[in-house]
Amino acid sequence: MKNMYDHRFQSVEEIQQEFEAGGYICSKEIATCLYIAFNLQKPMMVEGPAGVGKTEMAKTTAEILGVPLVRLQCYEGLDESKALYEWKYGKQLLYTQLLKEKLNDFMGDAETMEESMAVLHSKEDLFFSEDFLEPRPLFKALKEKAGCVLLIDEVDKSDHEFEAFLLEILSEFQVSIPEIGTLSADVKPFVFLTSNNNREMSDALKRRCLHLNVPYPEPDLERRILNSRVPELRDNLQQNLVDFIHKIREMDLKKAPSISETIDWARVLVLLHAEELDKEFVETTLNTVLKFEDDIEAVNEQLESLLESVHSAA
Amino acid sequence: MQAVLEDFLKAVRSHDITVSSAESIEAGHTFELIGYENREILKYALSATLAKNLEERESFSKCFDGFFSFESFKERTEHAEEEKQIAQELAEYQGDSELVKMMLAKDQVALSNKMKQAAREVGITDIWFFTQKGIYSQKIMKEMGSAQIGEEIAALSGGTCPTAAAQANQLRQVRKALQGEVQNFVEQQLAIYGANTNKRLREEFLTNARLSNVERRDFHRMHEIVRKMAKRLSDTYSKKRKQTQRGQLDFRKTMRKNVAYDGVPFETFWRTKNVDKPKIVAICDVSGSVSDYSRFLLLFLYSLKDVLSRIDSFAFSGSLVEVNTIFDDYAVEQAIEVALKEGGGSSTDYGQTFMDLKRDRLENANNLLNIDNKTSVIILGDARNNYGDPRTDILKLVFQRAKRVIWLNPEPVIAWNTGDSEMDKYRPYCHLVSECSTIKQLNNMIDDMLKVSFG
Repeated sequence: MKNMYDHRFQSVEEIQQEFEAGGYICSKEIATCLYIAFNLQKPMMVEGPAGVGKTEMAKTTAEILGVPLVRLQCYEGLDESKALYEWKYGKQLLYTQLLKEKLNDFMGDAETMEESMAVLHSKEDLFFSEDFLEPRPLFKALKEKAGCVLLIDEVDKSDHEFEAFLLEILSEFQVSIPEIGTLSADVKPFVFLTSNNNREMSDALKRRCLHLNVPYPEPDLERRILNSRVPELRDNLQQNLVDFIHKIREMDLKKAPSISETIDWARVLVLLHAEELDKEFVETTLNTVLKFEDDIEAVNEQLESLLESVHSAA
Repeated sequence: MQAVLEDFLKAVRSHDITVSSAESIEAGHTFELIGYENREILKYALSATLAKNLEERESFSKCFDGFFSFESFKERTEHAEEEKQIAQELAEYQGDSELVKMMLAKDQVALSNKMKQAAREVGITDIWFFTQKGIYSQKIMKEMGSAQIGEEIAALSGGTCPTAAAQANQLRQVRKALQGEVQNFVEQQLAIYGANTNKRLREEFLTNARLSNVERRDFHRMHEIVRKMAKRLSDTYSKKRKQTQRGQLDFRKTMRKNVAYDGVPFETFWRTKNVDKPKIVAICDVSGSVSDYSRFLLLFLYSLKDVLSRIDSFAFSGSLVEVNTIFDDYAVEQAIEVALKEGGGSSTDYGQTFMDLKRDRLENANNLLNIDNKTSVIILGDARNNYGDPRTDILKLVFQRAKRVIWLNPEPVIAWNTGDSEMDKYRPYCHLVSECSTIKQLNNMIDDMLKVSFG
């Protein structure tokens, strides 16, 4: 049986190249972390501000490995029945209703209570079989024959109880379903956990993971990312754009723009056929980059000096 | 390889990063996978396995650089002249100490290996304090075979032969050079393995020291300690918890959810109760004698913002001053300075303070602000009232209304009720009276209080 671990990454550089071909430019640090996580088959905890490509990393990995991406979005109140499996109560009920008529035939010649019970016992597992099981993301991930990339997004939003439940899955890659038995993965999924640092995760969970912190990218890296994502953008404009974004990030903002915003803005530039990064253009499109009114105001106030320093640097 | 990894993990641990045995196995696998060739990649890889948050990443980076950057002994140059000189010196040397031969040949690799081996023999990784530098240097020198050099020097300098004397001199120089290298090495090792022992000891001392004895230069460090403790408390208590009321079925919700199943209650829901965050009214004496204590109480309360839905803070000396707005407007350290300044300045008057409290928090037009049965009242002060009217009647009112009244007195118990201290008059109207003079006591007090509040 072919599985995803047949795909061997020989070196860190190879990962960098393959990801670049897949449209994801990663720094050496990210590539190294992916390399050991993949080869040691360990879950990877990715931290960093929103929009720096944490989720994208998992998607690209799935593409490269040629396996499905199973995604579990965490939120407050997420529990086993939403994450692992649930019985299809409705279907079970419907079937019992339908079978009511047939009950007499089915019971046949069972006369006494004991005989009826014996007949029932021989059939009871039917209703608690996988046909009546609604698989949720974690269950699906364990069942994938060729392995998969499991993305547990924003794990910091989940409750403590769910975190404890994750521990079992992440260390053994198996779960027990009381009515059926233990289900274990044939091929360990490649697990990504992402976190925005809303809260500190427990030591037990941290210990089971490799840690990667994805910061805002260096200007060079960001330009390369733009190159691969928005190749239509002209060079000088790209340079100005990246410089400007980096200047804004240094300011004290509620939400600094991240890579996804940079890419969006670059697309706007291309769409509007902008010739250069001038005041009017920035003023009208700043809302693609900044998501808070206060932030936009703060940047607008210093717009001229910001643009000046960007243009003089270029 | 194994030994290097072990040493490295020891160094990492001394940098305040916890490494469990499972993680060391992990690190071993990583080593095998990555190898030593590319230091940059090895660093990223080990950092991913061992460091668990930003702080740890930084200290890991420092530790890694320190551990693997170690270079010692001058490298042998390829100068023909120097080669000749080395050959000559080697030929002149008649003793049979391997060590001297290595030194003369300037064999960097061999020397460095020998030194590391010797260091491991004497257990350099246990070095903790700078006072141990001398002894470890001595031990390493001895392990490397310096005794033999000493003997040879003694033998050579005994006679009157000038060449022998010259050779003895040269040997002395060799020994001195070696000593320099070893000392340098030991110093680096100390930086790696003893990095945080001093800090740790100091922190332990500060946690248990009376706050009035803490010197000004340690305030910064104290803030850090308090912040750490407050963060721990905040992590423990910050989540608004739901408590299931045992056995009480939420009938409406259950019916609603089970309509789909023909009213057969497949899924049941139980009543829950939200546990409220505690409300705290803190009243801090900020007159000169106790301001050092109030500073830390305020700091503590400020850092617990996540846990406490509302910290209602007052500072007083002559009269009561509300400092909530200051807490909202300023960053922590500044806020406390301002609060201390606003409240302080006049001589302590508990009577007036309690009257103000009655006006503001017992008979306030806005009923929400008033002290009620969910409020814990903390009073921090030495109860020294300058022989004024203590107004215990108001404290009694507070006592009857509030959930808890806690009096923290920074003075040692033995000094209570001496002179103008009115502690005994106030004591009957407090649920808890306690001496509170160290950061640790303060931490325990607040921990207890939160525990009670959360039930």
